[in-house]
Amino acid sequence: MTALVLDRVVKRFGDFTAVNDLSFSVPEGGVFGFLGGNGAGKTTSVRMMLDILRPDSGRIEILGRAPSRANAPRLGFLPEERGLYRLMTVLDTVIYFGRLKDMSAADASRSAAALIERLGLGAWANTALEKLSKGMSQKVQLATALVNRPRLLILDEPFSGLDPVNQGVLEEIVLEMAKDGATVIFSTHVMQHAERLSDRLLLLARGRKVFEGTQAEARAQLPPRLLLTAQADPSRLPGVTRAIASGAASDGWQEWDVTLAPGHDAAGLLQYCTTNGFALRSFDLYRPSLHDVFLHLVGGA
Amino acid sequence: MNRILLVARRDFLQIVATRAFKITVLIVPLMLGLVMAATSVVRPPPTVAYIVADAAGHVAPVIERRVELEYQRELLRDLSAYAARWKLPPPPEAGDGYQMDDAAVERFIAHGGAGGALARMHPPAGATAFKRQPRPYLRVAVPPDVPVDQGAESFGRAIAPYLANDIETPQGKRPLAVAVYMPARGPLRLWTNGRNGSGLIDMIQQERTRQQRLALMAASGVPPAAAARIEAMEAPLAVSAPPAGGGRSQMIVRSFVPLALAYLLLTSALITGGMMLQGVVEERSNRLLEAVLACVEPRELMLGKLIGLGAVGLTILAAWIGCALLAAFSVEGVMADYLRPSLAALNQPWMIPVMVFYFLCGYVILAMAYLTIGSLSNSMQDAQAYLMPVMMAVLLPVMLMANSIILNPSGLLPRVMSWIPVYTPFAMLARLGSGVTVAEILGTGLLLAVFVSAELMLLGRVFRASLLSTGQPPKLGGFIRLMLRGD
Repeated sequence: MTALVLDRVVKRFGDFTAVNDLSFSVPEGGVFGFLGGNGAGKTTSVRMMLDILRPDSGRIEILGRAPSRANAPRLGFLPEERGLYRLMTVLDTVIYFGRLKDMSAADASRSAAALIERLGLGAWANTALEKLSKGMSQKVQLATALVNRPRLLILDEPFSGLDPVNQGVLEEIVLEMAKDGATVIFSTHVMQHAERLSDRLLLLARGRKVFEGTQAEARAQLPPRLLLTAQADPSRLPGVTRAIASGAASDGWQEWDVTLAPGHDAAGLLQYCTTNGFALRSFDLYRPSLHDVFLHLVGGA
Repeated sequence: MNRILLVARRDFLQIVATRAFKITVLIVPLMLGLVMAATSVVRPPPTVAYIVADAAGHVAPVIERRVELEYQRELLRDLSAYAARWKLPPPPEAGDGYQMDDAAVERFIAHGGAGGALARMHPPAGATAFKRQPRPYLRVAVPPDVPVDQGAESFGRAIAPYLANDIETPQGKRPLAVAVYMPARGPLRLWTNGRNGSGLIDMIQQERTRQQRLALMAASGVPPAAAARIEAMEAPLAVSAPPAGGGRSQMIVRSFVPLALAYLLLTSALITGGMMLQGVVEERSNRLLEAVLACVEPRELMLGKLIGLGAVGLTILAAWIGCALLAAFSVEGVMADYLRPSLAALNQPWMIPVMVFYFLCGYVILAMAYLTIGSLSNSMQDAQAYLMPVMMAVLLPVMLMANSIILNPSGLLPRVMSWIPVYTPFAMLARLGSGVTVAEILGTGLLLAVFVSAELMLLGRVFRASLLSTGQPPKLGGFIRLMLRGD
């Protein structure tokens, strides 16, 4: 079963097209990264998934149903722009969101109390939110998203504003949710988080999809790169499209940053060098990061 | 509990926990208490003392008799009103309640005064007890250190400190209002404390004038009996007045509850509207709406706020009305004089639902305006800029109409404003007590229901579209587009 389907979805605000013919699907279970720069259309897409905004055209299906508040009991949502009722206590806030998601008062209380403990907020359960630090408030907001143990958790820029320790806590929770069978979709423009967490990912640029697939498939979008230490210039080797000398030469040896043409692989080049006497002191395959992939795919968009 | 009620409950509980709410609830009873306390402090004492130094002993009994007659006359008048209020036979000496000469008052005293009259009236079990007003003037003896035989000037100097302070009477310390000195020869002299004695001085002057006229008539050869008849004669007047509790007084009394409701509607809607506005602006600026809107439809959020804040308004009203009733019941006679007749305006079974309908519609009209302004504003400063013209457009005509209604509830302005939906609740509530036709109620009610439904739909679209919007609030054209299209 698919957790989420977007089919040719378009959303315009006046003359501006925020989401343009966007289609993708997210299978149930696992962590799905929804990546894009600022203004790429991530938040608009998320709002459409939650029925906060309606698409101008196209179809959205969430856990097998059209977006509506009827899905709220099975969803958890952490918005990018966070805020809570300042005068409410931590416990009351989490219970309130549990109740809004159709939980009974008893279930919401039980689940809220357990989550608050788990997030290290037990001592502040009955403290008004206006007295908490920003980091603590963000944890409370996370608790409001998790209180109903959602089948689909949508996190919009979840790491923004969190210190490294709390980012680690959030990553743990995301992975644990996925391990327990929930689907986690999170939007971010910080590629390191996506790299650590997501099984599959989607890259958006100016409202359009530029990539959808696994991390390996994303990396495969980039031509292979190698770091060689050689005596001769490798740019004439077969399959090499570019070779740039990097670092200073020493005893006749020079480091080279080598890019291969698509369809050529590093193993084939190594074999060619050894059989044809092309002297090498080192031969390292450069593994591109998602950041590189992002810049490659979106940089010119 | 559905989501609308959850939102309503949260908003209600959050507001009633604030200091502002507690102050709002307490401010009216507190002011009421302060006014009552201040009134009781500045109110002149019901009984003041007077002394008469009358060496010859001719004047003192005459003044004392006049004071007593005037007191009994007031009692007779009060008894007459009491009888009318409880539909009892009035004391026969009271006549029409307007003309009670000395002879009638003397007959009243001879028949046992108020006690005798009440025994003959047989008030019913539910009637409040007749409350005798205290005697306004109490004669006390001349203090021993005040000389009465050394002339007026000496008396005046000695009595001055007593006039400046209270004097001991059988009822405790009381202000000495008037000191009378009647010399063996010469005119009667009076000293007063300048505050409480004017009524008594008038009485003394009238009585002295009467005595001198009688003496003059006797000197002119008029027989004493004839002179007394001439002096007691009063020109007959035929006074026609509505029965007690009727006429214009009845209209004002019957309008009391509906008029009060109109004012309370305005006050509570303005107070809770302000709270609502602040709440929505805070939710927008705190960026918490997105998380809420993931669980709750904008329509549910809007209705929840209307209900929650409406409950806050009703709680405030209930507290105020409760305190007012408590104060009214604590003042004996108010219940009988004002509240019972004004509640009689509600004796028609349709009256209460009609008032509730107008009240709720009035609340929704104003609350939706506040809610929409809140959803359009990024800050309270933005909100105030929108609020000012809207509130002026509502309040100024309502204030103008309120005056007009008190003068003439069926005047042109109140009748015209009854048909303008924004003003209908205020105009109709204020006019209900003074009689409006069923056709007017049905017509204005229908128009109002259509208007409120349209307002909920059109401003609901603006609310939904504006909740998560950023940037500058829309101008008039954009606002109209939001109302019509919702995007």
